[in-house]
Amino acid sequence: MIQYIDMHAVLQESISGVYADLVTRPTGRVVRERIERAIAGGSVGEITVARIDFTGVGCIDYSCADEIVAKLLRDRFAVLVLSGITDGHREAIEPVLSGHGLAALIERADGTLESLGAAAAAAALLDELVARRLAAPLPGGTYALTLA
Amino acid sequence: MTRLVEVPAHFDDRSFDQFAGAFAEARRDDERLLFDAHAAEWASPYGLVGLLAAGQAARRPGSGAPAERPLLTAPTSPEVLSYWARAGFFREAAELFEIHGKVPRVKAAEESEVLLPVTPVRAAEDVHAVVSKIQQRASAILASELSLDPKATMGFAMALSEACQNIVEHAGTGGWVSVQAYNWRRKLARRVVVIAVGDAGVGFRHSLEPTQNKRFGDRWGDAAALEAALVQGVSRFRDPGRGQGLAGIRRYLVRWTGKIAIRSGTARIAIVPPWDDDVPLKDGLPPFPGAQVLIIIPEQGSAER
Repeated sequence: MIQYIDMHAVLQESISGVYADLVTRPTGRVVRERIERAIAGGSVGEITVARIDFTGVGCIDYSCADEIVAKLLRDRFAVLVLSGITDGHREAIEPVLSGHGLAALIERADGTLESLGAAAAAAALLDELVARRLAAPLPGGTYALTLA
Repeated sequence: MTRLVEVPAHFDDRSFDQFAGAFAEARRDDERLLFDAHAAEWASPYGLVGLLAAGQAARRPGSGAPAERPLLTAPTSPEVLSYWARAGFFREAAELFEIHGKVPRVKAAEESEVLLPVTPVRAAEDVHAVVSKIQQRASAILASELSLDPKATMGFAMALSEACQNIVEHAGTGGWVSVQAYNWRRKLARRVVVIAVGDAGVGFRHSLEPTQNKRFGDRWGDAAALEAALVQGVSRFRDPGRGQGLAGIRRYLVRWTGKIAIRSGTARIAIVPPWDDDVPLKDGLPPFPGAQVLIIIPEQGSAER
């Protein structure tokens, strides 16, 4: 199952609607719980791929990166494919994932995938997606999701 | 009877211990305090936020319902008065102090030096407001005045957010934040951006005591608590993802050769960049309530003095 999540929209629904930044633990908790509800319901044994689009999100701080991205990966079996990611977003998310030995994928604008977080976890993640035919290698050594 | 607490003429992180000493001494008798700032010539954001924290801590429960506020003698210099007003100090001080002296009715600044006037932080919503505001104000200034990569603005907002969240999550009371840019002639012949965050809450030792006291044994105290939080990334929460905030601030500051110093209780810890001669850890300082965080990001690329 691939579930599309518009992070900016989830954020707007989660807080008063005037802010575009993913900051503070309480905000992160509310946003994560909404995402968890959205990606719940996959069949047993099925991998849920959550494509989370960060377009329109201003800043994400370390607390929110942990509360949302790391906890989604820690607490349930969902593969996170992040898009619309800026260097600033990456700066917060990468060390949080690396610190926990976790990994997510970034889907670039051209559809190719890039790993984010702990190298070993990222390699295992890509292998698993390829084995399940959810991703495929492209010429040049890159990967892309097969279910675009 | 009223006890006098003199506000240093140049009130910043360097003179803060002198202020904390006078404050601790004056508080001993549980009398009403008078903070005397009439001779103040300059105050950094750290000084202004610290003075508010002292005012918060010095409120005495009155015999009736309302608490008795400490007194504050405002600076007599019109320039200093105007600056403190533009920095947003008096807007916050009015609730905490009985102010003596003529305070100008000036709105908190929208000028280039004051990136964020003294702003209260009590809840997560306040952190959202601070981060939103700083991104609007700081982006151009960080790039043009500090020669920071424009991409660094988001990291700056992250660092500010995490520093403010320390108040919300650990202080047990509200606090304040202020961000200013200025020429720092004392240490560097260059511009700096300074973030000051302070509160009069429970402080790091009290916050971490339930989970860290036994681990440190006899060494446990304010200095050990600061070391645990800033160096070891320890949090009072058992959640393994906690402790990211200060670690993230450190990473950001290493990248931009910035400095962080945290004072809590009787100790002060600092991550000292090459351009500074501060000591990494000081213990046995005069006690001061809560925690006071100082973050300095210098202009990039220019020669060190």
